Amino acid sequence: MDAARLIPQALAVPIHPGWFVVLQFVTLILHFLAMNLMLGGSLIAFALSLHRPQNPTPSTYALATKLPFTIAFAVNFGVAPLLFTQVLYGQFLYTSSVLIAVPWISVIGLVILAYLAAYLVDFRFSLLGRLRPLIFGVMAASLATVALIYTTNMTLMLQPDRWTAYFTNPSGTISNFSDPTLLPRYLHFVLASVAVAGLGLAWAAHFGIANLPPQWLGHGLTWYAGATMGQYATGMWFYSALPTTVAHALGGGEFLPTFTFAIGAILGLASIATALQRRLCATTWMLLMTVVLMVGLRDMVRDLYLAPYFSVYQRTITHEYSPFLLFVIVFILGLGTIAWMLRAVWLEKTSEVQP
Amino acid sequence: MNFPIWELGAAGGGLLVALIAIFHVYIAHFAVGGGLFLVTSEHIAYRQNDAHLLAYIKRHTKFFLIVTMVLGGITGVGIWFIISLLSPQATTILIHTFVFAWATEWVFFVGEIVSLFLYFYLFNKISRKLHLALGWIYFICAWMSLFMINGIIGFMLTPGDWITTRDFWDGFFNPSFWPSLVFRTAFSLLLAGLYGLATAAWEQDPEVRRRLVRFNLVWLLLPFVLLVPSGWWYLQVIPKASQLMILGGNPQIPSFFHVGYTVCVLLVAGGLLMALRLPAYFHRALGIILLVLGIGSLGSFEWIREAGRRPYLIPGYLYSNGILVAQAPQLTKGYLAASGWNQHANLADPIAAGKELFRGQCSACHSIGGLRTDIRPLSAAFGVMGMESLLTGMGKLYGYMPRFFGTPQERHALAQYVASLTPRPEEPTATLLHENQTIPVFDPENTPYVLLAWCTLGEKCISDCDAHFSFLPPGSALTAQLIRRGPLPELVTEGVELHYIAPAGHEHPSQHVEFWKYAQSLVGKTIPANTSAKGLTPSGTLKKMDGAAVFVADGIPALPYRDDGAIDPYPVWRVEARNATSGAVLATTQVVLPVSTEIGCKNCHGGTWRRIGAMGIAASTASDVLARHDRRHKTTLLPQAKAGTPVLCQSCHPDPLLKAQGKPEVLNLPAALHGFHAHYLADRPGAEACHACHPTGPTSYSRCARGVHAQRGISCVSCHGTLEDHALSLLRAEAAKPSAQRLLTGLKPRLVASVEEIQPRIPWEDEPDCLACHQNFTPQPPRNASAFNAWARGASALYRNRSDDAGLRCPACHGPTHAEYPAVNPVHPQRDAIQPLQYQQTAGPIAAKGGCAVCHTVPMDVEFHHENILAGANQ
Repeated sequence: MDAARLIPQALAVPIHPGWFVVLQFVTLILHFLAMNLMLGGSLIAFALSLHRPQNPTPSTYALATKLPFTIAFAVNFGVAPLLFTQVLYGQFLYTSSVLIAVPWISVIGLVILAYLAAYLVDFRFSLLGRLRPLIFGVMAASLATVALIYTTNMTLMLQPDRWTAYFTNPSGTISNFSDPTLLPRYLHFVLASVAVAGLGLAWAAHFGIANLPPQWLGHGLTWYAGATMGQYATGMWFYSALPTTVAHALGGGEFLPTFTFAIGAILGLASIATALQRRLCATTWMLLMTVVLMVGLRDMVRDLYLAPYFSVYQRTITHEYSPFLLFVIVFILGLGTIAWMLRAVWLEKTSEVQP
Repeated sequence: MNFPIWELGAAGGGLLVALIAIFHVYIAHFAVGGGLFLVTSEHIAYRQNDAHLLAYIKRHTKFFLIVTMVLGGITGVGIWFIISLLSPQATTILIHTFVFAWATEWVFFVGEIVSLFLYFYLFNKISRKLHLALGWIYFICAWMSLFMINGIIGFMLTPGDWITTRDFWDGFFNPSFWPSLVFRTAFSLLLAGLYGLATAAWEQDPEVRRRLVRFNLVWLLLPFVLLVPSGWWYLQVIPKASQLMILGGNPQIPSFFHVGYTVCVLLVAGGLLMALRLPAYFHRALGIILLVLGIGSLGSFEWIREAGRRPYLIPGYLYSNGILVAQAPQLTKGYLAASGWNQHANLADPIAAGKELFRGQCSACHSIGGLRTDIRPLSAAFGVMGMESLLTGMGKLYGYMPRFFGTPQERHALAQYVASLTPRPEEPTATLLHENQTIPVFDPENTPYVLLAWCTLGEKCISDCDAHFSFLPPGSALTAQLIRRGPLPELVTEGVELHYIAPAGHEHPSQHVEFWKYAQSLVGKTIPANTSAKGLTPSGTLKKMDGAAVFVADGIPALPYRDDGAIDPYPVWRVEARNATSGAVLATTQVVLPVSTEIGCKNCHGGTWRRIGAMGIAASTASDVLARHDRRHKTTLLPQAKAGTPVLCQSCHPDPLLKAQGKPEVLNLPAALHGFHAHYLADRPGAEACHACHPTGPTSYSRCARGVHAQRGISCVSCHGTLEDHALSLLRAEAAKPSAQRLLTGLKPRLVASVEEIQPRIPWEDEPDCLACHQNFTPQPPRNASAFNAWARGASALYRNRSDDAGLRCPACHGPTHAEYPAVNPVHPQRDAIQPLQYQQTAGPIAAKGGCAVCHTVPMDVEFHHENILAGANQ
């Protein structure tokens, strides 16, 4: 079976694909940050709630009150990159989604479940008592499952040769566990979320958000350092499991992937050191740079996988610019409005204007 | 078809989309109207200094936040997920066409989230002015989200000029954009009131609760002022095809219309009821009931909008099953091979191939055993034959389903698969009666008379489902001529009486069919048992026709059902010529009165033969016929039949056969029957389509095509054309009637190049002209000769009515149509050749093989009867 025969035709795009690559890249970084805070936060919150179920720490409460925001923004910031990914890689993504349709659609139910659980612990934190670990557990498990489903889809979309599984199972329940990259990739991303959430906690402690005590700055950075070390282990595993052509490109075969990979790895390693030294700003800057590089590397890996079938830049362009202009204008106005709202609220709160 | 298709079985047919979408839109509209509700109510509370109202709004905001952000926001993504799973082709088109509309909407979505969080969490914690500003920003963002999505949703119903220009703005500001925006805005305000009623009901203080309920009631009722006219406006702007689809063309829609306005009435009534002073629990229960009921109003609107697009997802561009309109012509050369996602393109396993075809072309709308348009009950009536016919006609007359795209072999495979989902028990095949046939004795030396008799039709069909309908009541026509032999024989018409005598077992037809029971309803009069509508009994006297040397008994109630239970489509009547004065028998002969109830409605309408394995229209079959007629033509035939008052089809449909006037604007019955069914039985080889309904097939019980033409392989098609040609010839004669025009558009002629080349013909009055092939009475015309499109015009020109130069009717010597001498009868080979065998000991036409002596007592060498008679007689 020629796998290329299974790939649907790519549709035309209104403007140069490079624009979509950039838009996807930027919005995906935003999504990853929010998503990491959400997933990592729920995992840390679950771990903390297990520690002293009856007498929760302030950090547990702080997490409980902030997790609904992280879910809202993780979902919202996920919409844009998913949209642009569909523009660029729709023929691959739709196909792999159909192959795993049952788990893929269950993402919606799982996120709703996690969201409801998040609001439950937010609005009923004290009343829940011993049930808190259970609710946090439901939230963490739901979101961790969503992550696994996403990882499955993102790996399956890259490998049309695996799509032939459809012929024996067209009911949307195909798994991709036989892909050796699936598990390390999944763990690598889950650990990333714990690291980012740990850093988030450190910042919350720094600003005293939700009465989080100052010592949590150190705790947060410890979570960060530990999770990042774990990422190194899973990252190596992930790398060793990559197909030879992709691994070769990252391991010296091609300049840009190799360079990005190397710098990202070095920055990550350095951030462990700064985290252990309790240097919040330095760690954060290095993390942000690492995220940018790793998102870029992720894109390169995807294109290396798909290289035998498809180049993202070989597309028919319809040169329809006015809708793009509409988006840019609304985007700028939207950012301005959000900035105005936050500023106005900030000014009132700081000047203590009474309602 | 370019993507793999998620095989859902019972959960298929769009059920998942429907569930998620209806749930989401119900919340999403609330998220818009509710935004305006919050900020304006807050404003009113400040202005009136109403602490109760303000406290209520704060509580309501929490409810609003959780419902819209958690359930609304995530299910919105859910719709995106589910449509990309079930209709990836449509989704990818929408994404690529409107990517920046989606992206713009996303910006508004971000604005909604930020402003709503701030609005909720800072309630009473910031200045009123700023809080109201946040509320307004939320509402503007929410409404702009609706604005953006509305453009894309409207595109899917009315793509407008985009179809030709492919311009973003043409697609976005499509014809239904503005009415839809007004309509949806009004609906969102209505929902704000409806949700508000539900939350207000939880207020503890009865007085405050009543005040809040009344406050919300205004929000529920006022939007109707906008809703009704915008709904009407909406309907006006959509294309005619969608309008027709919505107004009943899609049989699923009317019930949703009923649900929609019934729910609206209930909402208004329930809302007014809530305004009364009622206990808290009653308020709460009613509030929740109304909230749940409200789903029915918006749900039915969305359903109607969706169904109004049929057979498209994007009208004119993408079919409901994900096939691109532009791709469709290519697919008729082979659907399965066109996509790598199919493995059975070689059709070696037709059921597996059919399954792939079902998945690709049907499963978008049909589940297998599920809640949404389950294919099993819908196809239960059809066997393979019926299903294949349905697939052939699909999308031609009724536009709510796309046509089938594929080869005839693929269509057959799909039919086999669908039929296999609801296997029907194999109907046993009855063995045709085989009986001896005695030939009456004729003494050529001493017998002065030759009596020739024939049935006017080669096969008289009877519709024996009288409790449901009738279009062919019992009544066969027997014709006879009496010849006095001599050197110059003469036709005898004076001083004689001709009698017909029913064979044993055929004297009591009323015991076998219910025509007599329902005669009053069917033909408008009660009729004595065993007497036909024309007053004839199984045995009686033939009447001499005015101006012709012919005796006729038109209306003999002959049936294929014998008193002993046997089914004999070829009963043999005895005919006697007697001296009118003395009663002495002058001549006697026997004649077959071919009669059959083998009308194949059951092939497509379900059921079995009424007489298992043989013939007859069963009650279940007849019910299905009426049910479909009622559904398509807004008649009430089935209820009428159930009430004991079935109708004669010709009471509406004119029909020259019964000399029925019917309703002048309605198609004559043959044109209607053939014109309609030709869409479903098109493209079939040879006379296969004819065999589907008529008892003409070689495996039928009656096998009525038994004449010399049939023996030589000349089929129905040679004279009548294929079903499509035949139907077109009938429809062309009715072209002035609107329904004929509708039927004409879906048919393509097969024997001629264009519809215009087909000569119109009136059924039973214009028939294929024998002389078109037998030019100058040539006995054996070329094998490829065809009488199609060469009609003998008018009753007097027809074979059965024409006479030779001696006054003998054509069938007198050549036998009736479809059983022309030498015919071979399936009950007994000689049964259709009794008279030739009686008079000349050979089965050919009378006078064949030099047999002029049948009538002439001297040798003949003059072609008196017609040209070339001697050439034929000497063969």
